[in-house]
Amino acid sequence: MSFMVNKIFPENCKAQMKIQQMVFMIIAITILFVLVGLFFLSISFSNLKKTATNLAEESSKLLVSKLANSPEFSCGNAFGTISQSNCIDFDKIIGLKEEIESYSDFWGVAKIEIRKIYPNGSRLCNEANYPDCEILKILDKDVKTLSYSSNFVSLCRKESDGKIIYNKCELALLMVASGDKT
Amino acid sequence: MYKKAQEEMVGFAVIVVIVGVILLVALGFMLNNSDEEVVESYEIESFLQSSLQFTTDCENEIGFLSLQNLIIACNKENRCLDDKNSCDVLNSTLNNLVKNGWQAGEESAIKGYNFKIIIDEKIELELKKGNETSSYKSGFQGFAKSGSDYEVSLDIYS
Repeated sequence: MSFMVNKIFPENCKAQMKIQQMVFMIIAITILFVLVGLFFLSISFSNLKKTATNLAEESSKLLVSKLANSPEFSCGNAFGTISQSNCIDFDKIIGLKEEIESYSDFWGVAKIEIRKIYPNGSRLCNEANYPDCEILKILDKDVKTLSYSSNFVSLCRKESDGKIIYNKCELALLMVASGDKT
Repeated sequence: MYKKAQEEMVGFAVIVVIVGVILLVALGFMLNNSDEEVVESYEIESFLQSSLQFTTDCENEIGFLSLQNLIIACNKENRCLDDKNSCDVLNSTLNNLVKNGWQAGEESAIKGYNFKIIIDEKIELELKKGNETSSYKSGFQGFAKSGSDYEVSLDIYS
């Protein structure tokens, strides 16, 4: 009998150890895979956020081109017989700036700015110093925004040298920033 | 039994290392997959289009010339009303436009640019600044006048 107990007990012990080992391995592997899963989930969620930001920036870029050619901004036929693309009527938008409250949610963006590239400078435009200024903040909501999307435009106005009225076009950047909703 | 347990621990460690390496490689790919461009071609096209509409200081009998008309005047060797050479005005205006539009430099995201005016497939004016790298974007605008083909092109190196 004692021979049998001696023979069986070590076998039981060995089997228990094996079971324990297997249980530990299964727990360890499960924890490892859970961690890996969490890691990938966090990356994919951060990518989702990045994709949302990229989409907002992409729509701002498209909006820049759309804005430059919209009736509120574009030169139309005022500066030549053929309608020019990417041409902004400076005289028109200085008037628009005064009425911007009515348009604050019209384009779905937080900031619209026009900055002269050449000739350049840092004077903010208002009715008093127009057209001898370089930066015109058309819409400037006090909210957190994404980075600016911009595109080059031709900023045209009617100018007089005392004798004749002529078209004066300068190079400018139309900048648009959407509100950060993330 | 101890030897077998050791073997299994080594096996587990190997699995952990392999998974770790795979994670690192995946992370590297994800971080490198940034699709943001410094300059887009449409920006260069818009720059050229807007520049051609720019009103220069050169005046003729009709009025102040746009950059497009100044290029034509320079090609015809016409002079401005104040007797300035139209090509000199063209050169200085273009220099200022391109220099202010694209601030190129070693520290900047834009490493250099190459602006060309090609008339009837011959380069008539070239403005270069900075380094010509393998990563670049281009744009061009073409127009025709009095039987001549004009092409204005700009390469931006990043």
